[in-house]
Amino acid sequence: MNNLLPFLPGQLDQVLESIPFFMPEIYLSVLFILVLVTDILFGKNSAWLCRILACAGLVLVIFKDLEQFQLLLSGTHFLFFTQMLLLHQTSLMFKLIIDVLSVILLLYFEWDDDLKSHTKGLSDLYSITIAAIFGLHLMAMSVNLLSIYLSVEMVSIASYLLVAYSSENGWSSEAGLKYVLFGAASSAIMLYGISLLYGFGGTLNLFTGNLLPGLLAVNPIAVSFALVFVFVGIGFKLSYIPMHFWVPDIYQGAPTPVTAFLSSVPKIAAFGLLVNFLTPFIYFPKWTSFDFRLFLSVIGIITMIAGNFAATLQSNIKRMLAYSSIGHTGFALMAIVALCNPGNTSGKSALTFYLAAYALANIGALMLASYFANTTKAGDVNSYKGLGFKYPVAGVSFVIILISLTGLPVTAGFNGKLLVFSAVYSVYQQNHDIWLLLLMITGAITTVVSLFYYIKIPLNLFLRKPEKVIDYPSSAPYLLIASVLISLLLIYFGIFPDLLAKYF
Amino acid sequence: MNILSLLIFTPLLFGLLILLLPSAWRASFKYITLLATLVQLGISIWMYLHFKTGAGYAGINNESQFQFVQKLPWINLNLGSMGKMQIDYFVGIDGISVTLVLMTSVIIVIAALASWEIKSNLKGFFSLFLLLNTALIGVFCALDFFLFYIFYELMLLPLYFLIGMWGGARREYAAIKFFLYTLFGSVFMLLVMVGLYLSVKDPATGDHTFNIIQMMNPANYDANSVFAVLGHKTILGMPARTVGFVVLFIAFAIKVPVVPLHTWLPDAHVEAPTPISIILAGILLKIGGYGIIRICLGIFPEVASSGAFWLGLLGVISIIYGALNALAQRDLKRMIAYSSISHMGFVLLGIASQTAEGISGAVMQMVSHGFLATMLFFLAGVVYNRVHDRDIYNFRGLGTLMPKYTTFIMIAFFASLGLPGFSAFIGEAFTLVGAFESPSTNGVLPYWMAVCGSIGILLSAAYFLWTLQRMFFGSLSLKGGDVWKTALADLNIRETITLLPLALLTLVLGLMPSFVFDKINDSVLALVEFTKTVIR
Repeated sequence: MNNLLPFLPGQLDQVLESIPFFMPEIYLSVLFILVLVTDILFGKNSAWLCRILACAGLVLVIFKDLEQFQLLLSGTHFLFFTQMLLLHQTSLMFKLIIDVLSVILLLYFEWDDDLKSHTKGLSDLYSITIAAIFGLHLMAMSVNLLSIYLSVEMVSIASYLLVAYSSENGWSSEAGLKYVLFGAASSAIMLYGISLLYGFGGTLNLFTGNLLPGLLAVNPIAVSFALVFVFVGIGFKLSYIPMHFWVPDIYQGAPTPVTAFLSSVPKIAAFGLLVNFLTPFIYFPKWTSFDFRLFLSVIGIITMIAGNFAATLQSNIKRMLAYSSIGHTGFALMAIVALCNPGNTSGKSALTFYLAAYALANIGALMLASYFANTTKAGDVNSYKGLGFKYPVAGVSFVIILISLTGLPVTAGFNGKLLVFSAVYSVYQQNHDIWLLLLMITGAITTVVSLFYYIKIPLNLFLRKPEKVIDYPSSAPYLLIASVLISLLLIYFGIFPDLLAKYF
Repeated sequence: MNILSLLIFTPLLFGLLILLLPSAWRASFKYITLLATLVQLGISIWMYLHFKTGAGYAGINNESQFQFVQKLPWINLNLGSMGKMQIDYFVGIDGISVTLVLMTSVIIVIAALASWEIKSNLKGFFSLFLLLNTALIGVFCALDFFLFYIFYELMLLPLYFLIGMWGGARREYAAIKFFLYTLFGSVFMLLVMVGLYLSVKDPATGDHTFNIIQMMNPANYDANSVFAVLGHKTILGMPARTVGFVVLFIAFAIKVPVVPLHTWLPDAHVEAPTPISIILAGILLKIGGYGIIRICLGIFPEVASSGAFWLGLLGVISIIYGALNALAQRDLKRMIAYSSISHMGFVLLGIASQTAEGISGAVMQMVSHGFLATMLFFLAGVVYNRVHDRDIYNFRGLGTLMPKYTTFIMIAFFASLGLPGFSAFIGEAFTLVGAFESPSTNGVLPYWMAVCGSIGILLSAAYFLWTLQRMFFGSLSLKGGDVWKTALADLNIRETITLLPLALLTLVLGLMPSFVFDKINDSVLALVEFTKTVIR
């Protein structure tokens, strides 16, 4: 202990200097404690209070995020907390998107009847979610293998709790158990990979230190093994193939708002993490041990094909959206491949736009799935027959949201696709890499395939007649209002993408 | 407010109006739609009359020669390493588009009149109809590839629902087949579009641009870009520009449709309700032809020239195959659908010849087929609405029962089979003249193709005359007996009013083809001249 004393003031100074870069996260942790205490003090009936607190607090965090743009005026990036975390334009953008989407998600929790009728109440859910968002912030900023692992684990543990929240439901508890088992296994593999990297390079720090030169000195095959192990862990969060196997069961089994949560924000954070992880390798000129572009291209192509084709076979809405979200991961990997070229910035902005458009549309689609489940108990595409005539507003916004997910104009999803294609193409023009071309062709083909299953929903809503006419009790309109707003937003960003894209 | 933008977005505004009106007013929706289409027709006629002709207004590859232009900066994204993305709201018309815009406006009025038969869910039908209307006009006016693509794709969804919700028994199948076919073509078009955009730079601003006219100028291509004219880059081992041309051609060939990409058409046309069949046959197919002329020929002229033989061959196959299939049909609507394939083959043959006559003939044939197909589908709809049957074998001797109807059928049939004095004759004759002239002038097509085209006319005479004889001549004999006899009333006032202008138009265009040729001539000559200079 005494030996450490001389270093303490310096360390403390560093911590104190880092605090301005950590303001949103500090607010989040205070918010977490507040929500938790409120829950404990006011007991089971405090859900509404927790909800207001969580949402208001998150809005405050968004303001804190915005304030951080001021910090970035004085420099492009800041490493802080002994180079554990990195704040720069992209990570800040990811954090902002995550927070905005999380506000929508927090509101959405209570609108789902299945989740709301839970005997335990929803108060715990809010504190867990806030903790998860804290973890997501860390994921988007981690640049040290240790902080990467810790943030991924933090999000994972919160996600396990969310999935298994309604544990008296057989599906949900099965999904929760599966999720924990797979998650634990994959994070163990990732940890093994990290320990190998640490052993090879002698440091955990990605950006500074000697990790990459150290890795170059080691046998490439051994390094590749270690990196693949790390990708197993990241892939578990991104759900690309072959790390996708948990997705369908868990998305179907989890309460719908939780599915919406899992399919959107952790994915965005994981892409942020992947960008951070790849950046030092991309800009290290002598790096030859492992071809990230080839690796990610192959995974991207397989993921797009398998995700989209498997989705055509599904009839449960949530399961279908689960497979489609796998397909979307594959498409977003295309932007990552484009980004794996030094000096390419368009890949990053394309990725951000694509993910924002996808996440918004996916949340909207699941909200409408909840809406129909609330009113008619329908969870299967075939039970949607003729419902479009009964609920025209919900039906039309469902169509718009699905069009955006397919990537047809005039929606934000189309512009996302266009930006990704442009980013990949501009790289292809420079290096004529055949894999980029294959990626684009696969992306185009799977777009057609995705239409084939997305259109099943409008088909049943509008083209088919119901077998018997039932009068359903009307339900609360919040979900409807929210999904209409989302669909309008998707069209708005479809016509004027630059209003959103100029920030990325 | 630019008149062209007004033309494009008027239907959209009326569509929104219908969407906002309470459903209790549903009886007024068809009148609102008709009003919207009439306003649109008025604007188009005004534009047609004020359209200036002369070599100084040819358009094609000269931005300043387009008329009624509106160009507004729309999307300007800074993409870092890729420079800026420049997308304009850029609309304007030249000789080739003006005739097609007017044709579209006329046909849409007819389709709106044919929508009287729609009885269910009127709000949905008419708002989708008007949305479709905006997209259709927009495609013919857009000069920015991005804008063109948006309008091109915007058609799909309304059409899917219009076919799928108000169509016949196999409507689900027909609607999804149509959607998937077209989307398959257009997603690959998207890839080529992105490639072109990254290859072309606007000389004025130095940004990458989607401007179609800038894409036509070989000097605007970056030397290292994929589609550079002199770059000779390859994609998957094939010359890049050939790949680009083929992909775009397939996308448009699906729309035309060119055999063997035609199989969606008989299903979609037959299952669609009458107004939508009219729009499909009358307008949608022309978008394919227009796209080939404006985009495939305009941007990749040298590939079009070297591949002209194959284009011509596909055209001839479509003519013959479509006609032979039409001969074999029992369903009246299916017969007309296959005759459309056959007639659109002439368009492709004319374009392939790359002569002034051939391309003029192709445009003329598109206009003429627009009116004739509209008339034919409307007429098929008349019988179907009355007895819900279209089988040619179930009718005989309708001539005595429905004399007015038979008159219009005869006009439509004789006009379609290419009787001199009607518009189709002019269109087909000019495409064949172009095809005959090609071997001796530019040598891209062999003689036998023109001969095969003529055989197609002969076959079309066979199936039209046979149908006429089977259904309308002889003594009255109906499958449904007396029930049908009372149901099959002759044309009412609305139907006559709808058909009369169409019959007159095809006659007028047959006698005075200058109404079309005067407007398109400068543009066609400029196009032929332009393709020659680029090839050199």
